[in-house]
Amino acid sequence: MTLLSFNLIKNKNKIFGFSSVLILLSLIGILYSTFNTSFKKPINLGMDFIGGNELRIERICEYECDKVSPDEVIENLSEFSNNKNLLNNIKLQIQNNNSLISIRSPYLTIEESNDLIANIDKILGPLNYESKNSRIIGPKLGKKLLTNCATSLLVSLVAISLYISIRFDKKYAFFALLALFHDLFIVFGFFSWLGVFLSIEVNSLFAVSLLTIAGYSVNDTVVIFDRIRENLKQSSDNYNQTIQISVNESIRRTLFTSITTLIPLLTLIIFGSYSLFWFSVSLSLGILIGSYSSILLAPSFLIKNKITELI
Amino acid sequence: MKRRQGWLFFIIFLLTLSIYLLINFPLQLGLDLKGGSQLTLQLVKDEGNVTKEELEAVNAVLDKRVNNLGVAESNLQTLGRDQLILELPGEQNPLSASRVLGKTALLEFRTQKESTSSQLNNLQLQRFKINDLIEQFNISDKRNKDSLSIIKDNLAEIENDINYSSNYQNLFDNLVDTKKYISNEIANLFNKTDLSGKDLINAGRRQEQTNNNWEVLLSFNNEGGEKFAEITKSLAGTDRLLSIVLDGESISEASVGSQFINTGITGGSAVISGNFSAENARELEVQLKGGSLPLPIEIVETNTIGPLLGSKNIIKSLYAAICGLLFVGIFMIFNYRILGFVSVISLIFYGFFNLALYSLIPVTLTLPGIAGLILSIGMAVDANVLIFERIREELINGKTLIRSIDSGFQRANSSIIDGHITTLVSCFVLFILGTNFVKGFAATLGIGVLVSLFTSLNCSKTILKFLTTYQYLRQKALYLNRSYPQ
Repeated sequence: MTLLSFNLIKNKNKIFGFSSVLILLSLIGILYSTFNTSFKKPINLGMDFIGGNELRIERICEYECDKVSPDEVIENLSEFSNNKNLLNNIKLQIQNNNSLISIRSPYLTIEESNDLIANIDKILGPLNYESKNSRIIGPKLGKKLLTNCATSLLVSLVAISLYISIRFDKKYAFFALLALFHDLFIVFGFFSWLGVFLSIEVNSLFAVSLLTIAGYSVNDTVVIFDRIRENLKQSSDNYNQTIQISVNESIRRTLFTSITTLIPLLTLIIFGSYSLFWFSVSLSLGILIGSYSSILLAPSFLIKNKITELI
Repeated sequence: MKRRQGWLFFIIFLLTLSIYLLINFPLQLGLDLKGGSQLTLQLVKDEGNVTKEELEAVNAVLDKRVNNLGVAESNLQTLGRDQLILELPGEQNPLSASRVLGKTALLEFRTQKESTSSQLNNLQLQRFKINDLIEQFNISDKRNKDSLSIIKDNLAEIENDINYSSNYQNLFDNLVDTKKYISNEIANLFNKTDLSGKDLINAGRRQEQTNNNWEVLLSFNNEGGEKFAEITKSLAGTDRLLSIVLDGESISEASVGSQFINTGITGGSAVISGNFSAENARELEVQLKGGSLPLPIEIVETNTIGPLLGSKNIIKSLYAAICGLLFVGIFMIFNYRILGFVSVISLIFYGFFNLALYSLIPVTLTLPGIAGLILSIGMAVDANVLIFERIREELINGKTLIRSIDSGFQRANSSIIDGHITTLVSCFVLFILGTNFVKGFAATLGIGVLVSLFTSLNCSKTILKFLTTYQYLRQKALYLNRSYPQ
C-alpha cells in the first residue's frame, strides 16, 4: 500500500503549481496559434472543418522506390496543370521509403482530383490504385461539421455537468467539473502546440476524443469522490486525513483502469490505421491527464488549509 | 447457488447463440474496410429549412437514379435533416455517379419565340465553336503552352461575340461556363410549354446510324403524348424550332416537318440527339428515368478507398485488437491472478457478445467503430478492476472468500453504473449529432458499454462463483498479489 500513496496534504501546492504550469502552457499555445500562425485559429483545423482534398496513394516500385523530393514533384506538376490555387497551396509528402505519396490540397472537384492523380501518375507512376484513399470535403460541409462538433461537445458537457450536480452536492460537482475542464483544456492546448510545430491538424475524431476523455475523466473523479464521501460518513474526526486515505485506497483502481485503457490505445497507435493515429494519441494523453487530475488534483481541491479551517 | 448455475447455462447459451449469429450473419464492413466510394449529398434550399417531405422526395428520385446506375449493393440513406449518404462499394471512380446524381435533370420542351431566327443561328454557331474548343482542350497536351493559348484566344473571341466574360482561374472551367451561358441564352429564345419530364414514362438510348453519336429516346405517357402532338402541330411547317431544355440549358433544337401540320407528331415518343457520347447518353437516360429532383443537391463530400487499403485496414485493426486484448489479459492475470483469469474469460465473452450484436442490429463496422470497440475493452476491464479491488479489500479485512466476493460486487455497483452512464451520455450525444463517420464510433462504444454492464456484473460473478465451487480454487492466496501484505 505504501508503494502507491502520495501525500496530498503536503504536496497540495506542488500539484496546483504543476497544473497551473500545464494550463499556462496550453493557454500560450492556444494564443500563439490564434495570433501568430497562418491559420489564425486556436487550433489547426483540418480538412474536416475547412474543406479540402486529401489523397494517399502508394507507388509501385520494383525493389526500392527511388528518392524524390516533394518540391520537384510540385514543380513538375505545374507543367501539367495551370490551376494556380492548387499549385500554390498543395502540400505533398513522401513517406515509407519513398513509396507512399500523401497530398493535402484545397477543395477540388472530383474531376480535378482525378486529373491530379493522373498527373501524379505521370510524374511518380506507376501508382497502385488499389491502395488509394481520397477524401474531398466541400467548404460548406466543413463549416457544418465544425458547428456540429462544437454543439456535440457543449451538449454533452452540459449533460455530464447536470448528471454530476444531481449526483453530488454543489461543492463536489464544481470541483469534479473543474478537473474535467482542466483535462480538456490541456489536451486542446497540446494539440494547439502540435499544430504550431508539426502542422498537425485536428479533425472530427479529435472532437470525439475530447468527448470520450470527458466521460473518462469525470468517471475517474466520481469514483474517488464517492470513496471520499463514503469514508467521511464513517469518520469525520480528521477531514484531511480521511481524504488522503480515500485517495490512497482508490489510487490502484484508477491507475489500473488507466493502464488497461492505455494498453489497447497504444496497440492502436502502433498497429492501427494511420487515420486513427492522432485520435489514439489524443485519447492516451487525455487519459493520462485525466487520471492525474482525478487522483491528485480533484481531491486537493477538497483539502482544507489550516487558515481556512480557522476561519 | 442454484440460481447461479442457471446463469451459467444462460451465459453459455448466449455464447453459443453469438457464435451461431456470427457464422450465419457475417459482419457488415464499412467502405473504409472493403473499399469503395462514399458521397455525401447536401440539399440546397435558398430560403427556409428543408422539410421532411422534400428530403424524402429527393431520396426517392436519387434512389431510382442509383438503381439505374447499376452498382451492386449500393446504399442510399438520409443523414440528419438535409443530407443523404450514398455508398458505392467497389466503385473507385465516383465521377460518373456524381454527374448523374448532381444534376437536377429538369426536362422541358420549349417552342421558339417569333422572329428570333438570326439570334438563334448566331448562338448555335457559337455553341458549335465552343464545343469544338472543349474537344481541342481535351485532346491537347497540357504542357504545350502554345496550343493552350490558341484555345484561350479563340475563347476570348467567342466571349467577345456574345458579350460575356467568364472569370474562372482555370481555362477549362471558363470553357464550360461559357458553353453553359450560350445554352442558357438559347433556351431563353424559347417559350415554356406544359410538357415536361413529368410526362415521361421511360427513357432509353441508342447509337445513331450515321455516326458514332448517341441519342436518347423518350416515351411519353398518354397525356404527354397528346401534349407533344399538340406542340409539334403548332410548330409544323413554320420556321420556329422545338427545343429540349435540361436544367435551363437547351441541349437540342429541332424543326418539325410540314407533313405533321394536321396531326402533330403522334405515337408518344421523341428522340433527343445532341451529340451525346455513350456515357453522356447513359447518364441522361438514368436521370430522366429517375425524374427531376424537387430541390437541387450538391456533393459536399467524396471519400474513395481502394480495396487493398481496406483489407490492410482490417488486418491492422485486427492486430491492434488482438494485441490489446492479449496485453490487457496478461496485465490482469499478473495483478489479480485467479480474478484476472476470470476477467479474461469474461472479456472473451464480451468480445463475442459485442460482435454478435453488431451482426444482429446490424452495425456496419468501420475504422472509428473498431476504435470504439477497442476502447470499450478498457471500459469493460475497468468494471472488473473496480470489483476486484473491492474484493481484495474485503479479503484483507479478514472476510471469507465467498462473502468478500459478494460484497465486492455489491459495493462496486454504484461506481460502475456511474462510469457507464457518463460514457453513455457522450455516446448518445455523438450518435445524435455526429456525422456518419462519428456515429460508427458512438455506436460501438455505446453497445460496448451496455454489454460490459452485463458481462462485468453478471458473467464475471457467475464464472467466479463457478470456480469457487472447486475446493482447490478457494485458497485466499490465489486471489491476492504476492506483494500484498496478508
